Amino acid sequence: MRYREVLHVLGGLLMAVAVAMIPAAVLGMREGMWLAWLVCLLIPGFMGLVLFALTPGKVDLSAREALAIVGLGWIGIVLTGAVPFLLTGTTSSVAWALFESVSGFTTTGATVFAVIEELPPSILLWRSLSHWVGGMGIIVLGVAILPLIGVGGAQLFSAEAPGMTTDKVQPRIATTARLLWGVYFAMTLILGSAYLILGMSFFDAVNHAMSALATGGFSTRTASMGYYSPAIQWVTILFMFLAGVNFTLHYRTFTGHPREMFRNAEWQWYLASVLAVSAICFVALGVSEGAFSFELVRRASFSVASIHSTTGFGTADFAAWPLVAQVLLLGLMFMGGMGGSTGGGFKVIRGAVVTQHVLDEIRKVLHPRAVIITRVGGKPIREELVLKVLAFLAMYMATHAVGTLILATLGNDLVTSLSASLAALSSIGPGLGEVGPAAHYGHMSAPALLTLSALMLLGRLEFYTLLVLLIPSTWTRTHRTPRPPRVWRRQHRRAVVRAGRKADPMSSWPSHP
Amino acid sequence: MRILIVGAGEVGYHVAERLAKEHHDVVVIDVDRDRLDYVESHLDVAVLEGSGVNSTVLEAAGVGRAGVLLAVTSVDEVNLVCCMSVPPRRGLTKVARVSNPDFYRGGEALRPSRFGVDLLINPERELALETFALLESTAATDLTLFAGGAVQLIGLTVLEGAPVDGKTLREIGRRVGRRSLLTVAIERDGETMIPDGDAELQAFDHVYAIAAEDEITRAMELCGYSPAKLTRVMIAGHSREAFYLARLLEQHGIEGTVLIADPEMAHEFAVRLERTLILRGDATDVELLEFEGVGETDAFVAFTDEDEMNIISSLVARDLGVKQIVTLLNRTDYLPLARRIGLETAVSPRISAANAILQHVRRGSIQNVTVFKDSDAEVIDFIVSEDNPLIGQRLEDIQLPEHAILATIVRDAKMIIPQGSDALQAGDEAIVFALADAVPAVTELFPS
Repeated sequence: MRYREVLHVLGGLLMAVAVAMIPAAVLGMREGMWLAWLVCLLIPGFMGLVLFALTPGKVDLSAREALAIVGLGWIGIVLTGAVPFLLTGTTSSVAWALFESVSGFTTTGATVFAVIEELPPSILLWRSLSHWVGGMGIIVLGVAILPLIGVGGAQLFSAEAPGMTTDKVQPRIATTARLLWGVYFAMTLILGSAYLILGMSFFDAVNHAMSALATGGFSTRTASMGYYSPAIQWVTILFMFLAGVNFTLHYRTFTGHPREMFRNAEWQWYLASVLAVSAICFVALGVSEGAFSFELVRRASFSVASIHSTTGFGTADFAAWPLVAQVLLLGLMFMGGMGGSTGGGFKVIRGAVVTQHVLDEIRKVLHPRAVIITRVGGKPIREELVLKVLAFLAMYMATHAVGTLILATLGNDLVTSLSASLAALSSIGPGLGEVGPAAHYGHMSAPALLTLSALMLLGRLEFYTLLVLLIPSTWTRTHRTPRPPRVWRRQHRRAVVRAGRKADPMSSWPSHP
Repeated sequence: MRILIVGAGEVGYHVAERLAKEHHDVVVIDVDRDRLDYVESHLDVAVLEGSGVNSTVLEAAGVGRAGVLLAVTSVDEVNLVCCMSVPPRRGLTKVARVSNPDFYRGGEALRPSRFGVDLLINPERELALETFALLESTAATDLTLFAGGAVQLIGLTVLEGAPVDGKTLREIGRRVGRRSLLTVAIERDGETMIPDGDAELQAFDHVYAIAAEDEITRAMELCGYSPAKLTRVMIAGHSREAFYLARLLEQHGIEGTVLIADPEMAHEFAVRLERTLILRGDATDVELLEFEGVGETDAFVAFTDEDEMNIISSLVARDLGVKQIVTLLNRTDYLPLARRIGLETAVSPRISAANAILQHVRRGSIQNVTVFKDSDAEVIDFIVSEDNPLIGQRLEDIQLPEHAILATIVRDAKMIIPQGSDALQAGDEAIVFALADAVPAVTELFPS
């Protein structure tokens, strides 16, 4: 670990947070809270600038340093992101502010505030902005626009981007990051315009578009999407589904290869799952209510798309739905969106790999000597990768179990503990029981909120990025080659001047005595 | 015609042998002196030591006068470079042996002409295709397709108590009608003969019959076989032939199992073949074969690299009750032996390769040539050109060489079993079955 280099990149990231904060700050200053917002801006901005200026320039990163940057970077980002909630007086509880900030950046969308309309618009915008920046990834954004990093950008990228593997759409990682952010930006614009056309106010359109594309879930209304017309809800269903799709596929669609999406095995699994669960929920709802209507189709598919993509917008209180639908939705909470999307959860591709692997194991009982390669959609998956996915599954289950245990110990009932822990881990937002879509997290104790914040961060960064920070060997200093004594450097300079050419500086160093 | 053969391996040797018998001037080029000595002492050909990619060597071998350049070393890239290094010229056909499946994936980008090659041949794939056709027509020991499969030449062993056992061809002809089925050759005790109507079929005779596609099952019934559909096949070995065959089975929706001893090759196969079951194990592991239910498979194909292993595993499979067994034998001297111990259906890679190559070397009127395994017989498919003097003559007036028979005429994709009163027309395909000594005389009758 070379601390100076790590701090340099962290400084850059803090400055990026400050830049992301500007729109909310401008709005806040116009509301009259200019001092509070100025301080909010200055904290990451000034800290970032100092770190950035005092450490060396463009650096090459090792894999360990990249992980440390992403882990520490996210902790720093959510901490500075919590400051506006406190300084603007929105809340006086540090736990609340932190929870709201983590929930924003991890695109969870769980909130502690009971009546959203009471919050100042600048805070509402900041919540949506944190979603939007956290969705595609602030570090990916950093890789895309800041000329900070030489080699090692790919490691940063894959440490932050969710999914089993990271596929580059272009050979250079910075170009890849830029293109993915471009697609993300374009889709946000499209959805925002659609909302405007369908009659949403400009402010609400901006907020909801950012929230939906990031699979976040923060709304500017207490009733969430239920406040708006059916047409707006249908558009939201579509875009929630799309936000749960791998953005590489969107990029291919934008560049004229829409067929790739339809041929993608993971996409097929995702679509089939959305359609099947929607249909079951529709039937279950119809039977329990004794009447089938087109409105039920919308309600069922909205909740399914919202949960599957891990967005967490609500139109209906699915915590009051028939049990079969609730259990299915719990399953979807676990599964989440596609790898490489802005969604969270276990990821469809991992689910497909585990399913295929289990089927293969059954075949192996029939043919003990068979050599079977796990395949998804006909494509072979390396055994090493299968093991990684299984380890990830174990990690997911274990973390969920520990989270449930802590929440239950803190006095929540079983359904609430179980679903809240899963909803945080998979970055959904609403759960079941006391944290259902019609409720909020405001009644939870500070320790419970901090536990959930930790779960959200773990889920968003897919465990390893944060867990390596706990391993002492991550922090061992990298040995640096000492600079040669000044006398040698002078001799070397003279030798170069005498030779009258630009020599390779290392070639003419005198050897050690 | 001068023919250059680069590579004196199994394929090169066998092709050289056949071409030399047909009085071509053959020059064999190889880097291995010992191998060349062997070729020189066994065949009437010239040999030249050197690399086939070295243009000096090729020039010394007389590439300027050659009509055919055959690059048939075991290395695909050498073969391609060899063909590329010789500038194209009218009257020179360049043939390269390329067996890596990846080369055939390139589509347009990898067309032979881009490499300056006139023809790519893939002996391993030819063999797999041949084996697949054999498996499909369950009882057949040999099978050749003509006119796009409408006409087939099938080799069958007559079973004891079969409908044709002990009957003369005339009697059989009266029963089945001569217009659809014709026996062109009988192989008995290692001798091939072209029968006349008085020849009597006996059990264990090996019979070659030509028939329309839909008559093939009848031919099998006449020889005492009951038709069966192919659903499960087990293949032993990790040769390229095995890979191509497994892929063919996949393409036809037939359940395939491949036994591979080498863990790395097993993994490689498992990656490349999606629906085939790959088992890691020895082909002679009786316990494994029993466990995997080899007895319930329709066919067992022994395709390992070692002849001995193939023979043993075929015997094991037969012992476990597999009805149809195909054995791959590299050494042609094992072929009669294999038949004697009851392994009727043996295939040989070098004969397949030779077939594939000879088809194209004898250009002109010839469409297709097939050589049979352990006999000297060939089946040649001629196109009757417009100025052929035979046109219009009654067949009974045409003097064919003694060891040759005009088996079939294909006219407008229809099969005609010729009678003495029939006559050839321009554009007909004439399929002639001939023993090796009659081939040059037959070829002269059908100039291009």
